[in-house]
This record gives sequence, structure tokens and C-alpha cells, in this order.
Amino acid sequence: MFKTGLIFFPAFDWAISPTHPEREERLLYTRDQIFEEGILDQRKIVEYTPRLAEEKDIQRVHFCVPNIAAQTTTAHFISAGSALKLGDALLAGAIDNGFSLVRPPGHHAMRVVHGNRGFCNINNEAILVEYLRKKYQLRKIAIVDTDVHHGDGTQDIFYHDPDVLFISMHQDGRTLYPGTGFVDEVGGPGAYLKNINIPLPPGTTDKGFLKVWREIIRPLLKDFAPELVINSAGQDNHFTDPLANMQVSSQGYAQLTEELKPDLAVLEGGYAIETALPYVNLGILLALAGQDYSYVVEPQAQKQQIKQELQVERYIDKLIAYWQKKLAEIPPSKEELFSSKLIYKNSRHLYYDTDNIREQQQEEVSYCPDCPGVYQVISQSDRASGRNYYLKGISIPLYACSACQEKGYEIWERAKKEKGYDLCYLQDKKNDQYFREEIRR
Amino acid sequence: MFVGIDIGGTFTDGVVISDQEVIKLIKVPTYDDISLSIEEALQQILAGLEPQKIEQVTLSTTLITNLIMQDQLAKAGLLLLPGPGANPHQLSFACAYKIINGAVDYRGRVIKPINLTEVKEACQYFLDRKINNLVVACKFSQRNPSLEEEIAAFVQKNYPECKVLASHKVSGLLNWVRRANGAFYTLATQEACRTFQEKIKTTLAKLGLHCPLFILKADGGTLPLEVSLCYPLETIFSGPAASTLGALACTEEKITAVVIDIGGTTTDLALLLAGKPLLAERGALINNYPVPVRSLAISSLALGGDSSLLIEQGKLRFGPRQGPALCVGGPVLTVTDVLVYSGYSEIASPALIKEPVEETARVLQLTPQQFSEQVLQMFVAQLEAKLEIMFKTWEEEPAYRIWQVLSVQKERPQTLICLGGPASGIGKYWSEKKNWQVVVPAFSAVANAIGAALAKTTLKLDFFADTERKTYTTNLGGLQGTLAQRLHNIEEAKEFTLQLFQEKAKDWQLVPDMPVETVYAEGFNIVRGWQTTGRIFQIGLQTVPGIKGFLKGARQDV
Repeated sequence: MFKTGLIFFPAFDWAISPTHPEREERLLYTRDQIFEEGILDQRKIVEYTPRLAEEKDIQRVHFCVPNIAAQTTTAHFISAGSALKLGDALLAGAIDNGFSLVRPPGHHAMRVVHGNRGFCNINNEAILVEYLRKKYQLRKIAIVDTDVHHGDGTQDIFYHDPDVLFISMHQDGRTLYPGTGFVDEVGGPGAYLKNINIPLPPGTTDKGFLKVWREIIRPLLKDFAPELVINSAGQDNHFTDPLANMQVSSQGYAQLTEELKPDLAVLEGGYAIETALPYVNLGILLALAGQDYSYVVEPQAQKQQIKQELQVERYIDKLIAYWQKKLAEIPPSKEELFSSKLIYKNSRHLYYDTDNIREQQQEEVSYCPDCPGVYQVISQSDRASGRNYYLKGISIPLYACSACQEKGYEIWERAKKEKGYDLCYLQDKKNDQYFREEIRR
Repeated sequence: MFVGIDIGGTFTDGVVISDQEVIKLIKVPTYDDISLSIEEALQQILAGLEPQKIEQVTLSTTLITNLIMQDQLAKAGLLLLPGPGANPHQLSFACAYKIINGAVDYRGRVIKPINLTEVKEACQYFLDRKINNLVVACKFSQRNPSLEEEIAAFVQKNYPECKVLASHKVSGLLNWVRRANGAFYTLATQEACRTFQEKIKTTLAKLGLHCPLFILKADGGTLPLEVSLCYPLETIFSGPAASTLGALACTEEKITAVVIDIGGTTTDLALLLAGKPLLAERGALINNYPVPVRSLAISSLALGGDSSLLIEQGKLRFGPRQGPALCVGGPVLTVTDVLVYSGYSEIASPALIKEPVEETARVLQLTPQQFSEQVLQMFVAQLEAKLEIMFKTWEEEPAYRIWQVLSVQKERPQTLICLGGPASGIGKYWSEKKNWQVVVPAFSAVANAIGAALAKTTLKLDFFADTERKTYTTNLGGLQGTLAQRLHNIEEAKEFTLQLFQEKAKDWQLVPDMPVETVYAEGFNIVRGWQTTGRIFQIGLQTVPGIKGFLKGARQDV
């Protein structure tokens, strides 16, 4: 029998603050709806108990500043751990797909974590991907992010990883937090077109949403042929979401889920906690379990006819045409992309909306013909109040060549002696070893 | 002095317990009319006792179970109001149904009104099929019963020949399929229950017994005979609850153990965790249909002492019961015979079955010792496989709060309590082969009656209030209403819940000073547009589960 694993962890005892959108109440009505339906009595849906992630699972992905304890609560460990538990069940063959219906969310959390951004501290999907790749020797994984906000954290973490295809469809960054996710963010020189952004115009309905999936994402996935597909299942494209401006319904989400067939879906955002979440979550769960979801119609949808405006439709068609053309082109070589100096450098500022921090970063990836190359980041936080940190992080990719692995350790040894850093981090994903050093001034 | 009566398939057992001791044991046959067995049992119990010394009689009855299993249910039809959600045709409803329009949402708001023409048509449909017991079940009716009530009133008025029951009267559980099925089984068995209750009352009066009479529930608690009429389903599957409580009473408080009750044809497994029986996460199933009844987590295996031993293609396997064991005059070789042959059981002389055992072993090209070993190994292996599933289910019980995830310390028991005829033999074998403590208590043959006698009256109240909508609901069918007062904070909500609890406790004849524990208590801010517009409170109260007392010196370790 086809089985869908479910971990429902509404964290009824955790909130960012009492009136924050990310509060105890968020999944209360979802609980009511899913329990009331009686569908959990069916043997097709197997409910698991959540578990805690381990520190190492987080170190595999993040440089938490100044440490993991400062950036997480128990709820974060459970939220991340739940996805890992379903991942284990999936790879053990106990379930055929799974839904980690948990909070807090994670897709805005980047590799370096100075604080909470977009309600996220640690990235549940990234932690899941790195865990599964390490434990089960998987290589190619695709993440499809259907939250209305650009999955900038996930993009950041896998930007230079050619084995992880990250696709985010979201409301255009010119009109919504976090203000990124444009078509020219295509992945680092070693992972060209492994990062695909589909910024949609406000007012996109089920029609546009599904068209983008069918005409851009589906062919992309087919070409990439991942061993596993993960869905960052945010639900704020819903027409009633208070923080965004899209027109998607629970039917649209359910249909997308049915066609996407993610191996694992992980809840992200969605703050229409009454009007959307009970119905969208139910729709996704039914679609995953191969059950009929056509009766999942939110009361507002019965009353209002949702129609996609012509200009929205035209915009989406152009976007599809753009991507179809781009993806048909012969890509430049890795060497060409790295340019003559054979080094990728990037300098940027990042904004932490929840915790009021501005971060300044310089990133560097050195070219290697045999592997994705060592990644380095220098980061400085700038907060209105509280302590600031200046740090350096070095990451050796999972499939690094031995020369790059060695090089990573050399940089690490040097960095610790260099003046000025408060903290140095080394991620050796290849050997699954992680180091952090606090340097006393 | 407490009396427990367990009505089994063939025999009805009775015990009298006084001062932690069993002072009387009786056994009578179980008749088709179980009230006759109860009468006979009570007569024997009362012989030589003063009726006024008896504080309470508790029955573990198979009345409802038998009605259901023998398909003697009154016919009924469901009027379903699913509203938005899962496809109702893919859900497990226990009888014929008609879908009608009308819907309530999770907050109890009516999101779609009903259409009485549709109701009429549905009623007519059932009447044409000679079905005049009707259940109305609306999703989220516990949050707002108005649509169910409107339909029920309409049916009663226009079709006086119909009996109608609204699902919110049966249970307030969040699971409309279980509520609908629960209402169906309640309606279908209520008449038989009423008759039974009348008979029992007459019997008690005749025997001069004036103490309260309780019925054992599937979750190991009891409820007064009068209340059981409203909740007849609660009394289903009380047998395994009785034996598990009996096992507890024969050991000690806070014991963590597996209880196996091995009968002739089936074996039931249950878990005792720190002296509390483990409950099934979602509730009971009747004929695979989910119902809103809390029950112990019982795992059953179609394997018992009378299971026959078959040889198929040179391989040994267990077959169904074909009669009692060979050593006591049955037709074929059974598990019990092997226990006797290998010295684990002394119910008969091994000489009686020496030949057939040796003959079967020869067919399998084994020595009789190897053969016996194989049979017992297979038996225990099947028990272990079932146990493993039980443990896994227990370990995977969902948790929705951080504290629940953190408080998980699930250590598997290493103690086995064996009940039932072949139990001591299997127990001895188990203790030889595994590193377990094995207990075969004294009185293990009447553990069920002991469990019934010592079960506590229990009450569990799951309270849910929405202060914005000024409503409250509970898990108990029919107990819901409007909040006349404002509940400002969790303390006020707890106070309110406790009052409700104490009112119900009177109906349920709970001991007045029985300690009440808070299982959970949480408040949610209803925030709309950054403004707190109300609060939702969820509070769970229950009497502390367990039993009234333990029997002195009943624990006997193998």
C-alpha cells in the first residue's frame, strides 16, 4: 500500500512573540481541520512522532553566530529533526512520501546565521538535504520552493553546489520581502543554472502557478533527474494571505503537489492561519496520499470568482518564454564562468528583518577543475543594539577533491592566526567534521 | 467489599474482594441472555454475605460486543453534512449514508446553510428502505451543533416514526467520522441496552442489593449503569481492559510490563506503563470502523493454546482451533499438548499425547524434543513480532508540543505478566529463553473479574473554549454551550473547566474527593491584524487513572 508519512508538529508552546504571525495559534485550525476529517484513521497516512535534530546536523549547513545555542530553541531542533525523521522513514522504505507539517519555518536562513530573518533561524530543507546526502550517499537532490517569498536562504546555501537544483517560484522581489530571487541569480560559476528563480507578478492565480510549474519547472526536473525531490511547501501564495498579494487557492496547491510528486514536503510560510492553512494543508496532505482533494474548497473561494488579469497572464507568458529560451542555450563552460582570474568574488549586504541586523559579506569560491571548490565567507554583523561579530567561515564541499579538502584546512589554520576575527568556522562536509573557534581579543 | 463480574464467552466469573484479598470466587455458565448469568452469579456471591457490606458491583459485559458481532444491530442511516474537506465517499462510514448540503467550519461558524428539501429527500430515501433510525452528522458539529439540531428537530417533527440522533450528543471528539459511526452504533444498540438495564435493576432489587452498579469501559475506567445508556459504546471491548487491570492488581503500583492473555483461540497483548495501561492513540475500531471510544492499546493475535498444529509441504504451521487440546479429549494436536509434553504445563499427563507428538515429529523428521522446541519457538516468535509492532506504535505516538517531545523516555518493558490457561507454560518457556522477568499471578484465571472489581470510576474532560465566539465544547457528547462569562486568562479557564468537571463527576458518581489531574492547559491568542481579539483555551482534566487497590501476595514470579 502506498503510504504517506506525516509529522504534525504545531508547537503549541512556541512563538516568536505573542502577536507575531509565527505564534502558537498558527497551526491550531489546521489541527482542527485535519483531525476532524478523520483521515488520520486511514492506514495510508502514517503519523510519526517528531524528534530532535542533532547539533551536527545544523553544523553541516550553518555557521551559527556566535553558536548554535544562541540561534535556536528546542522548537527549531524539533522542526528540523522532524524532516530528518521522515527522510529516514522514506529511505528505509517505510513510507512512499512524507509531509513535515511543522513550525518554525526555515527557508530564509542562510549559511551564516546572525539572527532571525523572515521568521527563520535554521534551514530545515538544507539540513535535510545535507543529512540525506551524508547518510545515504545520495547525490542529486532538487528543492522546489513554492512559498510566496523567495527562498533566499536555501538559494544561498546551495548556490555553488552543482548537485542541488534549487527552484523557487515566488512573488516578484520588487514587491515583497526579501527583495531577491530574480532571474539573473542563476547559481555560482560551478553550479550554473542550478539555481532557478521564477519571480511571479502579484495577482498570479492557480492558472499561472500551474502553467509555470508545467512549462518551466517540470522540464527542468526531468533534465536534472534528481534522486529526490523536496518541496518547500509555503502556503502564502493563497489569495487570503495577509503578507503577500497572490491569488492561488488550495486547489492550486493540491494540484501542484499531485503533479510535482515531491518525496518530502516541508511546511514553510503561510500566515492566513484561518482562511488558508486548514484547507491548503489538507489539500497537500490528500494530494500526497493520492486521495481525492476536489472537495477541499475554502468557503471564500465558493463566493468569489478568481480570475487572472490579462496583464498578469502576459507577464507570466513572457517569463516562461524567457526561461525556455535560456534553458535551451548552450551553457558557457565553467572556466568561462569563473572568468580569467579563476576566482568568484561577491560582496553583499543582507538584512535580518526580525532581528534588525545588517550583515556585510565577502564571499569567495576558488576554481577547481575536479570539484566545486572551497567556499570562504567573511562576515560582519551590524546591529542597532547588542554585540557585533566579525567572522570567517570556510566550507569544503561534500564532493570535494582531496586537494581542495587540504586547501580548506590550510585556509582554516591561517584564518585562526589572522588578526581581527572573533570567530572562525570550518565545515568539512566531505569528512563530516565541523570546527568552530572563538578567538579572544 | 467490591464485587467484579466478568461475562466471558463460555463462563461468567465473579470475585469478591475485601481488604486486598479475594474472599470469594464463583463461576457460572454464560447464557444467551447474559442477565441470567449475572443473576446467577450474584446469587452465588451473596450466599453467606450480607448485601449491605457490598460497596459496589462492577460488570465487564459483552452485551454490546455480542450485538455487534452477531449483527443484531437495528438498521440506521446517516445524514452527512461534510462541507469542505476530504471526499466523504472515501471515508469509513459504518452504514448507508446520504450527503446533504450545509457546513460549519473549525471555529463553529455556519459557512453553508442547510436545504430542508434535501433533508426531506434523504429521509424519504431511508424510509423507502425501511430504515427509520437516523443519525445526523455534521463536520465540526461539536463546535456548533445548530445544523445538526435543526435537522434532528425537523426529522422528529415531520417523521415521528423515525428515531434520530445527532452526532454531537455522542461525542465531542475532533473526528467527525468517529462521531458519525459512534452515533450509529449508539442508536443501533440503545434499545438492547435499555432492556438490559431494566433487567439488571430488577435483579438487583430482587436480591436486595442497593449498592451502585458500574459497567467497565474499554479504557479501564467504569461508569454508572444509568450513564451507560447514553454512552453504550463505551462498554465495548471491556474484556481486555479487565484482564489488564487484573494483571496490575496482582502485581504492584508503578509496574511496567507487557500483559499477555492467552486464550484458546486468541492472545491479547497490552502494555502497563508505570502502573497505567497504555491507551490506543486514536481510539477503538468496531469491525474496522473507527468510533469515538477510548480504549486500551490492545493487540490481538489469532493464536492460542488450542491452535492446531498443521504440516503443510513438510513445514509446520499453526492452524485454527478445532476443539480443545488432545490431552483433554480434543480432536487434534495443539500448542497446549506440546506444553504438556515438554513439561511446561501440568494440566494432563504427558503420557496421553506421547504417541501423537512423536508421530508428528517423525513426519517432520525431527526428534520430539526438536519438534516441541520448534512449536514453542514459533509461538513466542509470533508474540514477539506483535509486541514489536506495539512498541513501535507506542514509540511513534504523535507529539504536538515541545514538552511532549522532550519528556519522551520510552524504555521497553522487560517484565511479562501471563494470564489465561496456557499462560503459565508459555511464561515458563519465555523466562527460560529470554532475559525477562515473568510473572504468572495467582488468580490469573479470574484476572478479568478482579480487574472489574478494582477498576476506578474515571472521567476525562477535554475542554475547548473560543472567547471570541463565546463558545465552549468538550469531548463528552452533549456537553457544550455558550460562555456566559469572559475567561480572561488560563486560570479562569481552568476554574471554569473544573466546575464543569465537578458537575459531571456528580452524574458519574465519582468519589467526591478523587484527585483530578491537569493533562494539558494552554491558551492561544487569536490575533487579527496585530490585535488580540480573543483567546482559545484547551484544557484537559482527568481523574488519576489506576485501580482501587492491589491484592496481597498475588504476584508469583516464574
